[in-house]
Amino acid sequence: MATMKTTRDVKGVGLAIPRPDGPEKVTGQVQYVADLKPRGLLHAKLFRSPHAHARVVSIDTTRARALPGVRAVLTAADIPELKRKAPTRAHAVLAIDRVVFVGQPIAAVAADELAIAEEALDLIEVRYEVLRAAVDPLESMKPGAPPVADAGTEADTSEALAHGSVAGVATEAKPSKAVNISQQAKLQRGDVAKGFAESDVVIEKTYRVPMVHQGYLEPHAVLAQWDTNGLLTLWVSTQGSFNTRSEVADVLELPENRIKVIPMECGGGFGGKIRALCEPITAILARATGRPVRYVMTRREELEAGNPAPQVIIRLKTGVKRDGTLMALEAESVIESGAFSGAVLTVSGVFLASLYLWPAFEVRGFEVLTHKPSIAAYRAPVAPHTIFALDSHMEQIARVLGVDPVEFRLRHLQREGSPMANNQPWLNNGGVEVLTRIAEHPFWKQRAEWKASGDARRLRGTGLALGGWLGGLQPTGATVRLNPDGSLSVLTGQVDIAGTNIALAQIAASAYGIDVDKVRITTGDTDVAPVTGLSAGSKTVYTVGVAVMEAAKDARNQTLEIAAKEMEASIHDLEIENERVVVRGLPDRGVTLAQIGKKGNLYMSKVPPVLGVSHPAFSQQAPAFAAELARIEVDPETGDVTLHGFVVVQDVGKAINPLGVEGQMQGGAVQSLGMALTEALTYDDAGRLTNPSLLDYRKLTAADLPNIETIIVEKPSPAGPFGARGVGEPPIVPAPAAIANAVHDATGVRLTELPLTPERIALAIAAQPAARRPAS
Amino acid sequence: MRRFQLALPRNIDECVKFLAERGPETKVIAGGTDLLPQMKNGLLKPAAVVDLSGVADLRTLRRQDGSGLRVGASVTAREIERDAYVRSAYPALAESGALVGSVQIRNLATVGGNLCNAAPSADMAPPLLALEAEAVVAGPRGRRRVSLSDFFTGVRRTVLAPDELLVELIVPALGPRSGGQYLRHTPRRELDIAVVGVASQITMSDGVCAKARIALAAVAPTPIRATAAEQALEGRPLTAEQIGRAATLAVEAARPISDQRGSADFRRHLVAVLTRRTLTTALERAAR
Amino acid sequence: MAKQVLSFTLNDSETDVLVQPYVTLLDALREDLELTGPKEGCGTGDCGACTVHLDGKPVASCLVLALQARGRSVRTIEGLGRFDALHPLQDAFVRLGVPQCGFCIPGVLMAAAALLAENPHPSEEEIRYGIAGNLCRCTGYTKMLAAITEAAGVAPARRA
Repeated sequence: MATMKTTRDVKGVGLAIPRPDGPEKVTGQVQYVADLKPRGLLHAKLFRSPHAHARVVSIDTTRARALPGVRAVLTAADIPELKRKAPTRAHAVLAIDRVVFVGQPIAAVAADELAIAEEALDLIEVRYEVLRAAVDPLESMKPGAPPVADAGTEADTSEALAHGSVAGVATEAKPSKAVNISQQAKLQRGDVAKGFAESDVVIEKTYRVPMVHQGYLEPHAVLAQWDTNGLLTLWVSTQGSFNTRSEVADVLELPENRIKVIPMECGGGFGGKIRALCEPITAILARATGRPVRYVMTRREELEAGNPAPQVIIRLKTGVKRDGTLMALEAESVIESGAFSGAVLTVSGVFLASLYLWPAFEVRGFEVLTHKPSIAAYRAPVAPHTIFALDSHMEQIARVLGVDPVEFRLRHLQREGSPMANNQPWLNNGGVEVLTRIAEHPFWKQRAEWKASGDARRLRGTGLALGGWLGGLQPTGATVRLNPDGSLSVLTGQVDIAGTNIALAQIAASAYGIDVDKVRITTGDTDVAPVTGLSAGSKTVYTVGVAVMEAAKDARNQTLEIAAKEMEASIHDLEIENERVVVRGLPDRGVTLAQIGKKGNLYMSKVPPVLGVSHPAFSQQAPAFAAELARIEVDPETGDVTLHGFVVVQDVGKAINPLGVEGQMQGGAVQSLGMALTEALTYDDAGRLTNPSLLDYRKLTAADLPNIETIIVEKPSPAGPFGARGVGEPPIVPAPAAIANAVHDATGVRLTELPLTPERIALAIAAQPAARRPAS
Repeated sequence: MRRFQLALPRNIDECVKFLAERGPETKVIAGGTDLLPQMKNGLLKPAAVVDLSGVADLRTLRRQDGSGLRVGASVTAREIERDAYVRSAYPALAESGALVGSVQIRNLATVGGNLCNAAPSADMAPPLLALEAEAVVAGPRGRRRVSLSDFFTGVRRTVLAPDELLVELIVPALGPRSGGQYLRHTPRRELDIAVVGVASQITMSDGVCAKARIALAAVAPTPIRATAAEQALEGRPLTAEQIGRAATLAVEAARPISDQRGSADFRRHLVAVLTRRTLTTALERAAR
Repeated sequence: MAKQVLSFTLNDSETDVLVQPYVTLLDALREDLELTGPKEGCGTGDCGACTVHLDGKPVASCLVLALQARGRSVRTIEGLGRFDALHPLQDAFVRLGVPQCGFCIPGVLMAAAALLAENPHPSEEEIRYGIAGNLCRCTGYTKMLAAITEAAGVAPARRA
């Protein structure tokens, strides 16, 4: 597939061309959910819990209902579909008798104006019995912690307790049940105790990455409307309209074919707009009022009660020989999932145990529930956290051993065929290539000069790290039609967030044999589009690209078959050239694509219309790696970090559209730099968010950043369209480790808790033994 | 945002009259950059709002010959940041204006709003305190002048009565060989709130410090002066050692809390660093 | 509560519209005037997606009451350039492939246009601070810098 041939060199795969909807985006014409305003629109607001854990004693909505302009005030008692035990966050539409995080919805209002809806919230009276909350995951996993899940979780905690301390959790002599451990996983190979016993250098550290928000700029938004036949239409901001449809159908107990989900332009998702969140309650308000209802979350609600990325705490212990031989690795990952289960444990384990080839390892993962908003995916879920721990550790080992940190990593890095922790072989990947390439960058080669150019008030350093993503898979579909004028129409249900539709159009163009400007691609709603997977997991181009490619090839074959009959030629002698099907070597003998297209749409014609279809499922992932390199300066007194340069080297297999690929690399790196330097959702002891605004939840601004340099490496994947690999996730993975390594290089301080704030850096430098402290 | 009645006065008298009638249930809006977020978050629910944008008298920024600067309460942070005279004569004040929010905020946020909201972290308070500014306040009984060092009474509290309005600030003229600087620490370069802010303003005479004023933000319930540090400098040459001693005394004046923006320990650490740095720059500027 | 007349200049046209006294300029533009180009990303002035020009200066329209714009001039993204006649900034943003999700883009363009009106040849640093009030989560800002630089005529045009 990597060498897909077309009959001539069409404008398609590999071109750096801008997306065709660019003019709509720069003129403000693109429509997001909040831009829709149907006749009779009502506005929704949710009454949310001020407590992290409380019993709801009573709810009185009498005064709110009486406010003029209020059209509905609903509580759980008004919604027959609600079940006491909600399997997912989406099912917990409104709290029934207990709230388990600050911001959990308790009542819902629809009103003529947003201001009236807000005033109605002030008139709702709820009495609570406040209960003890589990806020810290390490406390929450101890026996005796206040339970989060309604009936307690059924997770087997015997193993956790049998093996003693987990990231600082002491073993109970007489263990009672640890109710908040909702999932456990274990990966093991070889004799770890023996490995440590035979090691010369043993390093053990605990790394902590707080909850962070995906930070999409458009808050969650839904518009719901029912027609007189009981058909529900939802206009949503989602990463996957078919997933939204399934979740809403399940919560509302509706047949899926009675729900139409129309994916509007999605103002960013990054994993945070996969699961249904406020779609069910908006639909219920629309049902209760018989009017279209629009609900748009405020930014405060997003930060307090969205579905952020989990806090991850990793205790990591490694043993190596003086000559650099890896001996043993032991790790425990605690993933804080908030009020509902749903974290992925295995990715972290696979990277910890088998990105570098440890002969003996024992890796345990624990998902722990707390009284905080439940978590969701965030661009390469848990991978930046894991690589922060693992790569920081690899750098420390190399420095203790006094060996070149890149050579040390390369020596032990997995290769194709190496065993992963789950005993599957590592698939073809460019890990070695990107690490080798980044070590050739001048920032790395001149790191000693850069360090020496600093002074006591400007400490300079360089750091790099390697990380990646295993690659996502999901069945999907696409159709390609030849139109009567010879142009192509491609239809998928793919939500185009970052510009994937132009890449898919390029794939269709190259696979069919026509210039991309003759291809138009449409994202259909769930009534018209073939079932299409999520825009997530770095798999849009990798999987939907295959569907589009196969559908375009199918359309091409149908086109050639029709032409072969028309021209009485063998299909094997035909090719598509300049929008005509011609006999190879006889360019005068041909039929235009428009002629073939027209015949498929003529009254009494016997020629079938060309309709290429593909709906593949997949089994082969394509791991994708990125290496990142930071050149920084630290003010040792204030702890300020200035980024002087940042480089991303990434194996993308094949850059279908280099413009889009660069954008992914730059954006992913900067999200991750925020995680490294400034971003954290911070909670007080009662489980209340202390920074619920974008003033205090600090995403990086243009003034905080340098240009992000991108270097694309292309090691073709065996199964991807034209050799492409997933692009979205790898660039978010290495940066926190790269920054921590650079800060260490500059200051001598090794920090293991993100974000690396000025406060943490400055106070750590001030606490250094005087002999190692930079003079000032 | 919940509903409210909006008053649109055209002059200070109309404004004061409205406040006299409905002051306790009313909020005054100038730039709105602090008031509207509080109203949107339900922290304030005023029945009425008085808009100052139609009151031209509040928007004047003018140099007074020989007697300093008059800054109308509705002068924006952006105007302070860009005014050529402020930049040359009162660089600490210009620097504080340049640090508020982002350019979109600075075009709205006003000096009066920054002071009347009385956040401990208000960026324009330390330089105005260090410059010994006076506030002119209008009320039903006429006007009064209040030294800015008496203006703040607590977190988000000032001496203003519900029926009073801040009209302008009078910044005295500075003697020759004066210099000042405002620095603050924030994790981001823009769009942030001071973890600590320090303004230092000095006047040199015959090689010794004739006058020193040091004001701190975000380390006490109100912006404060570090008077012991000031006194330690006056009458002495500003050596690195003296500056270091003043920095230590400034730390003693600070009574910081720990919150989501920084711990008390880090804030004390920053007071020392920023006091030393601003005094050093103030000395350089005084020499120009 | 009774609506009041807001008379102002909107994208070069004298405009009268009835608005509630308690709505923001952003809400009046989006809900009463159907100009949905300015976006609400935070409602508290911390993200810049709602940036419009008020008397030529960039402001967070989520922090301006609609009636505070009375008698003044407002320009939104809809008044920056037309679909068939893009402003040089818009043109550069399209050609260089800046927009991803696109939600921040109208605000960024208005901030950048105000910057260039005041400072036609800004340095990289000045551009960075000029759009520092605009959060973008998709692009990492690098391509924005390139596009603004190109539109300002500082760098030679780069063809995609």
